[in-house]
Amino acid sequence: MALEDYRADVLRCSRCSYCKWIPFDHVKSWRFAKGCPSIDYNKFQSYSAAGRLVTGLSLMDGRCDVTDRVIDVAFKCQLCGSCDVACKVCRYDMEPLLALHELRFKLVEEGHTLPQNTPVMEGFRKEHNMLMKPKGQGGKWADGLKVKDLSKEKAEVAFHAGCRSSYDRDLAQVPSVSASILQKAGVDFGILGKAETCCGGRAFHMGYRADFTSAAKHTVKTWTNAGVKTVVTPCADCFHTFRRLYPEVGSQVEVLHMVEFVDRLVKQGKIKLSRPVTMKITYHDPCHLGRQGEPYVPWKGKERKIFGQAVVYDPPRPRYNGAKGVYEPPRNVLKAIPGLELVEMERIKEASWCCGAGGGVREAYPEFSSWTAGERIEEAMSTGAEAIVSACPWCERNFMDAVNAIGGTMKVFDVMDLVQQAI
Amino acid sequence: MAFSKEAYRALEDIVGPDNISDDPALLDTYAFQYLAETVRPNHSRYMPRPVAAIMPCTTEEVQAIVKVCNRYRIKVKAYSTGWYHFVGAIKPEDDTVQLDLRRMDRILEIDEKNMFAVIEPYVICAQLQAEVMKLGLNINIIGAGASTSILASATSLAGWGPSTFWMGSNPDNLLGVEWVTPAGDIVRTGSLGSGDGWFCGEGPGPSVRGVMRGNFGALGGLGVFTKCAIKLVHWPGSSQLDITGTIPAYRLPLQENFRAYTIAIPTWDAWADCFYKIYDNEIGYVFHRQFNLAGADLAGAFWLMYIDPTKTLNDVEQMVKQPEIKKLTDELRISFQLILAGRSVRDIELQDKILDQILAEVGGWKVKRFCEQDMAEFTNLYFARMGHKHLNFVWVGGYMGSWMQGGTPDYVKGYQPIAAAQLARDQKSGLLVQSGGDALMGCGSGVAGGGHMALEQFVCYDPADHDSVDTVIKDMHGATADAVAHGYPPGKEALYLSVGMKDEDLYAARRRAPQPFFRYQWKIKQAFDPNDVGDRMYMTLPPEDETTD
Amino acid sequence: MDNKKKTLIGIVGKENVLEYQKSLETYARDQSFVLPIEPWFVVRPKNMEEVQAIVKWANESTTPLVPMSSGAPHFHGDTVPSVPEATLVDLSRMSAIRRIDRRNRMAVIEPGVTYSQLQPELAKEGLRLTTPLLPRRTKSVIASLLERQPTIIPRYQYSMTEPLRNLGVVWGNGDILYTGEAGGSVYSLEDQWKAGGRQVDPKGPGQTDYLRFVTGAQGTMGIVVWASVKCELLPDVHKVFFIATEKLEALIEFSQRLQRLRLGDEVLLLNNSQLANILGKGIDHIITLRGALPHWVLIMGVAGRALFPEEKAAVQEKDISDLAQYFGLKLLSAIPGVTNREVLDTLINPSGEPYWKFKYKGGCQDIFFLTTLDKTPQFIKTMYSVAETLKYQASEIGIYIQPQHQGVEHHCEFSLPFDPEDWKEVTRVKELYCKASEELIGQGAYFSRPYGMWANMVYNRDVQGTIALRKIKQIFDPKNVMNPGKLCF
Repeated sequence: MALEDYRADVLRCSRCSYCKWIPFDHVKSWRFAKGCPSIDYNKFQSYSAAGRLVTGLSLMDGRCDVTDRVIDVAFKCQLCGSCDVACKVCRYDMEPLLALHELRFKLVEEGHTLPQNTPVMEGFRKEHNMLMKPKGQGGKWADGLKVKDLSKEKAEVAFHAGCRSSYDRDLAQVPSVSASILQKAGVDFGILGKAETCCGGRAFHMGYRADFTSAAKHTVKTWTNAGVKTVVTPCADCFHTFRRLYPEVGSQVEVLHMVEFVDRLVKQGKIKLSRPVTMKITYHDPCHLGRQGEPYVPWKGKERKIFGQAVVYDPPRPRYNGAKGVYEPPRNVLKAIPGLELVEMERIKEASWCCGAGGGVREAYPEFSSWTAGERIEEAMSTGAEAIVSACPWCERNFMDAVNAIGGTMKVFDVMDLVQQAI
Repeated sequence: MAFSKEAYRALEDIVGPDNISDDPALLDTYAFQYLAETVRPNHSRYMPRPVAAIMPCTTEEVQAIVKVCNRYRIKVKAYSTGWYHFVGAIKPEDDTVQLDLRRMDRILEIDEKNMFAVIEPYVICAQLQAEVMKLGLNINIIGAGASTSILASATSLAGWGPSTFWMGSNPDNLLGVEWVTPAGDIVRTGSLGSGDGWFCGEGPGPSVRGVMRGNFGALGGLGVFTKCAIKLVHWPGSSQLDITGTIPAYRLPLQENFRAYTIAIPTWDAWADCFYKIYDNEIGYVFHRQFNLAGADLAGAFWLMYIDPTKTLNDVEQMVKQPEIKKLTDELRISFQLILAGRSVRDIELQDKILDQILAEVGGWKVKRFCEQDMAEFTNLYFARMGHKHLNFVWVGGYMGSWMQGGTPDYVKGYQPIAAAQLARDQKSGLLVQSGGDALMGCGSGVAGGGHMALEQFVCYDPADHDSVDTVIKDMHGATADAVAHGYPPGKEALYLSVGMKDEDLYAARRRAPQPFFRYQWKIKQAFDPNDVGDRMYMTLPPEDETTD
Repeated sequence: MDNKKKTLIGIVGKENVLEYQKSLETYARDQSFVLPIEPWFVVRPKNMEEVQAIVKWANESTTPLVPMSSGAPHFHGDTVPSVPEATLVDLSRMSAIRRIDRRNRMAVIEPGVTYSQLQPELAKEGLRLTTPLLPRRTKSVIASLLERQPTIIPRYQYSMTEPLRNLGVVWGNGDILYTGEAGGSVYSLEDQWKAGGRQVDPKGPGQTDYLRFVTGAQGTMGIVVWASVKCELLPDVHKVFFIATEKLEALIEFSQRLQRLRLGDEVLLLNNSQLANILGKGIDHIITLRGALPHWVLIMGVAGRALFPEEKAAVQEKDISDLAQYFGLKLLSAIPGVTNREVLDTLINPSGEPYWKFKYKGGCQDIFFLTTLDKTPQFIKTMYSVAETLKYQASEIGIYIQPQHQGVEHHCEFSLPFDPEDWKEVTRVKELYCKASEELIGQGAYFSRPYGMWANMVYNRDVQGTIALRKIKQIFDPKNVMNPGKLCF
């Protein structure tokens, strides 16, 4: 695909502003009505999804050149997908999120990159992680775990930790707890451990399509060689990448997030969450597990018009609008923990506010990233919760940093942390 | 005077470098507008670029910006949420500074007991409604929906919608206003100007607010409105909308004191009679002909498709052929929606009884399928929050509203068959969405309490297809011609087309007005905008007309 | 002067031009404290064309004009010339009811039409018009509505100018421009009706709300020659109920809630003095009633109309009763000393003779302003305090609070009865009127209708508003012939 393929999307944009807000039916207050962190922080119209679509059109039509402003507009966005969900409340023909991706791909492919991204991508290419750490440092979370090494052995289930929790000491317990749970449940699984490479999702979102494709193909090949049929991960970013982006490079594995797996195990009685954890918590839906965590549906087709001008697709095009995101499994797991009181924020599920880390924003625009997380922490605090719980180490890192920045007391947990306490 | 670096610096000094830009790509996002393709060369989606986009945060900043623009003779154009091709720069030869008011987004006060709220321009209906619902209050949300700025519709455009019948229109509900005039003065209207608070928009003596807006507002062409107070109304529902359902088919379960009906009527004469009886009996919290916007031939299938989250527009193609949908389509041809809200259970029961009697008298009935739980709950939510209004664009992104001449129900029913025939004719080529005529939508009453309404025809086209755009423009001219041929004034489409017309042609049309109000608007402009920094969306006749009178 | 008279006779005919003399004293002064100035002429046009001719002549000859529609007595000084050599334009000959339209509930009337004249005609069509509180028999409907006199049914007041809709106006410069939807069409009302126009929408035409320039204007912008008004259905069932309390504060939340729920037709709050003034049949009866009536009474009319009127009234009554109970109040169907029927009949009809405000002492001065209901106790306290200082008997002050605009604005009125033959009382009331007005304005009472001495007080507080109004005046009456000296002109 190319940006030109989304020309019609731009021309058919009604400039309705829905992309800036959560679906209006869900607005419960003045304070927490916004959906798009980018325009909320940066203010100018360009920073909305509609604004970016127009920027793309202006570039395509030669109405403007690539300026610093254009690059800022294109990259100062977490690609959280809130705009996509809101737009699709009323539209069946628009794909704003895909168009936003294409804008980035176009700029990167033409050499217009963010200087801040250069060291990150060098690290990705050389060290196979997005944290600019030497590759040997990852995988320490697995130390002491007796588990299959997929680089040498076969297993039908692969557990993929993800580079955030592999390389971030504060989050290392997430994969290690997850792996122990799998072990307790008697799952025959393997890991790549220190040999695990970044899923490539973050590189994709930063606009580096070729780098992503290369990394993805490598990982798919490794799984194929190891006989993997199912991939389980506790990282929402990786989950989304494997579920939605990898099939385009030939992956056919089943993809599950740990919360889905644990939800299954609890329902099957294979693990019991019987130890009370007395706490009032709120749950944050990660973008990549929630609205962007919908199952992949392969499609190749084209636009057709009915009733004269109404746009449909042949065959019918799958609709990614956040309806089938992974919302209930993490909630089921949390509700199954005795003593835990779950209170919901205003913006949840498909209307969730982004943690701020995605799309390369944490790396390139730390202030904006922190502000976005801070907004979410404010929202969490408004519920009276003591802790914010999520299912993505990127979200958790961003929240922890935001809490520290404001000197707050809100605790940050992964679902697996609480599962570990409750088992 | 061309826009100079000096002028830019003067503006930058007011708001700081982060809140102003003249980057071409950024300015293009202000130029890109809904309906631009109907008036711009080559059906471009871009109106003329402003020379700068600037984001003030306070009234004082707005005033300072306006004064700079007076000094340098730059047009000032402010918008809140920024929708419509007339909210930005209009003429390429004018230097226009676009004020983007999104930083002025606070709810300043909610006075529950005295039932008003004070807001800035960027507060949208959804936000204010959510806050006041917590207090058992509600606001009139205009037909364009929850995404719109209350201040903008109250001060600068129209301001009526499905709830106007009971809740009042936004101009009715407008109390004190803070206005930065084109000359850069700050005028506060009513009690606000006297320092007595926001609660009254009239006086002292005659009301200055008469300058600000009439049947519609100045469309950004007469200064900047920076704050206003808006009257609130009672909400007999729960403090929060408890939404169920899967996106996009959200629903709002009906509480025991609410009803959500789609009503069908056998003839247009009976339809008018029905409206008058509803007015006389004062029932109807929300009263609107909404679902027909999808077109006479497609509305039944479309709405049933929409409330099923597993379906897409592809499904409409087959659904429309099903026998029960065909029957429903015929049933819906003359229909409208009515939300009843009782202040008590006995009240709602009586309202139900009254409605049944009215229907018995006019031969109308409740459309069974649309009154079943799923559709009723969707209808309830649709009108409670008006958060799905951009379904106007659902078919392919282009929607043009035409006709909409206001009058009594007896008057409006007169143009229904003309509009229906006109649309059916124009849709034949297949270059418009063939939704079937009529595709008319409109308030139960655009004047509070009943008695005056309008029906707007939904003409849907593909803005990405030049032939489709050509056809909708022809349709706009056709609608005007058909209206005038039958003794009606031009409709809404004339306003849209006027944005792209030459000054001389606009003046020629205005001179044909039977009474001299355009001349008076010129005098008002002279008095309040001596340096002509407001653009031509505030509609006047040229100064030469004065001297020839 | 002779030339002027000759021209006027040429316009309206000899019998309709009155040269000022003692018998026309009612035109030179009114019940207010404004200085009386005699007009030179009183002229009585019959139609819009004659009015336009008069206004054009006034511009040519720089003659001040003072329009007047109602008959005497007048109260606020707005119909007394503020400058010499004025010509009073008495519109009472223009007294046609042009059209009554039951289906659209609209009536089109001329300025000389009074409530006494209009209501019975509307009733024949099953309609009625919401009225101010006991208007005098000679009160012009248009004059009352133009001056935003509060009406007693707040539920129908969707905006402060309701039920006034469209106007035919001869502006101060002699131009004719109608307001509202009528302004967007041809001048002939008959042709508008033929084309289906009913003068319903008050806004516009275009991007200006011309109605707003004429309302509250005290005749300083132009002369209204016709108006369309929105009527309500005549009720089939109509009762009144009362809530009686010692303190006003006890009624506030209940009244606010009543408005919010749009319960009741007539809703007004009166203190015992004011209610006694209204219901009393003479001085003694007024004094007796004042003693017998509760200190504060909220009166509610409950009506049923159109379909199921009895049930409509019954449901409202029950809902109001529940509401009263919630606030610990009791809904009464009678108050001591007077029957339910008497109260209702009094409320919905114009005042008898003498005008009700004169019944007690022969004279009365009113201080009134707009506020929100929660602030009224504070203003009452101020009024009483000033009265006490000036030794005016506070218990004689009549207080009338009228919810408006469906309960947002409230008209708060203090009636100060006095004996006009007793110079001490006159002096005292004058002083009370001035001092109390100053204090009340200083505390935030909004004098939205700034008559007489209030004008300076009010406009001094709103500089930019005053400048804006003068610009508007300059547009519509550049030679300032329309009632000069009023407001800020």
